[in-house]
Amino acid sequence: MGVTILAQFPVENKTGPQIIEVLSKRICALGATPQGQFLVDCETFTSVPALGHQRTVHVLHNSEQPATVFALLETGTKTIPLVTDGLFDLLIMKMISFYQSKKHTKTESKGPRFEIGDFSVKLGTVNITSNFKGILVEVEYKPCVVPAMCWDLIMEFMQGFLGSSGPTAPPAFLQNRMQEIYSPIDTIQQYLEHFTIFRKSTGPTMVMRPQQP
Amino acid sequence: MSTLGTAIDSLTAAMKCNILPNQEYLLQGSVLDQYVEVLLHRLRGLCDNVDSGPETFNDHELCYSLRINSANAPCILPLRVRRALDVTDAPFQLRYVGQPELGDKNRPTVVRSSIDMACSSTILEFLNELGCRLDFEYISRGYMFRKGRMKVTVSKIFKMNGMSNKPSEGVEAISQSYLVELSVQAPLGQDAIAEDMRIFAEQLRPLVQLEKIDYKRLGNMMS
Repeated sequence: MGVTILAQFPVENKTGPQIIEVLSKRICALGATPQGQFLVDCETFTSVPALGHQRTVHVLHNSEQPATVFALLETGTKTIPLVTDGLFDLLIMKMISFYQSKKHTKTESKGPRFEIGDFSVKLGTVNITSNFKGILVEVEYKPCVVPAMCWDLIMEFMQGFLGSSGPTAPPAFLQNRMQEIYSPIDTIQQYLEHFTIFRKSTGPTMVMRPQQP
Repeated sequence: MSTLGTAIDSLTAAMKCNILPNQEYLLQGSVLDQYVEVLLHRLRGLCDNVDSGPETFNDHELCYSLRINSANAPCILPLRVRRALDVTDAPFQLRYVGQPELGDKNRPTVVRSSIDMACSSTILEFLNELGCRLDFEYISRGYMFRKGRMKVTVSKIFKMNGMSNKPSEGVEAISQSYLVELSVQAPLGQDAIAEDMRIFAEQLRPLVQLEKIDYKRLGNMMS
């Protein structure tokens, strides 16, 4: 477990599979080897009115930590992270009278993952209830756990294969935590940040467009 | 290359194969302080962890409930958090325990649904903000034994004197006895284990009488 940076890659008139192919070719040209698939998913639950002011629970899974369930509770004033194990999904089903699944918000990012030296790279296609929304590129630098110590290195590496679309500043969530020890829940927080943006946006419609002759 | 299934898919598959330990088989009893040594001696002889001796524990348990008070059907979800006071880096335990089912005379143990999971220490704040109410809390100190899949705990319950931030201080034993529990967590329908528990409980008589405790009847006795 190292430091992970998540960045959105602009879609610009291409389909999801096309971008994934281009990025896969670029990363493989640098010497990366494909290492299976990954999947991060998120389901959101909101409190029923009888429970008082509205709260939101986001439940996320990451195939990198397959035995773990992450939950983020948003109260309106703060976000409380919880790391727990697989049976939490069973518990959230028991909470059906108190917290209900928000319709049409099931979000996932999935795609191929690669290893290249000390880095691992994941190219995720983001879908909200099977509608294509965009591309998220995740890069993990494994030997280091303090973001401040490796941010420059990760940024340079990302710009190396993402070009000018690579990030130039640390993700908002990490900016106040650059000196702290990084843990898997921090990756989850970054995913949630991006998923929330995707949910609000109307999203790319490129895949819906008729193919150019 | 096969595509990855979601975590929910694997959970559903696990539920279908019935491998999730979501039931607890339980027998309870108590022993007076002056006889607890005799019982511990007996358990040391009967249980698996003979050479290492019993494991001790010193836990703080907080019992929460999530509730909606509607006029016709009040909705209550009980949740418990347990944390080890003696092993500070151990994960907290979150637990849902359902209504105990006593069944008929032929059923040897109480069966209740139970979901048990490890979690981070943020669980206390998480539950508070989720809308849960802290109903009561206590300290449980004692010994844990194992016999196959069975777990035996002999524990003393202490009242907390409103010192939530320093749970070990100012505690007061609630009785002059120890609580003895024999339990197994297993998937639904593994009733054979209940029979093993009955046989094991027989071996502890007459030091302690492990029984199916009917909480509803206990409630009536007190009122």
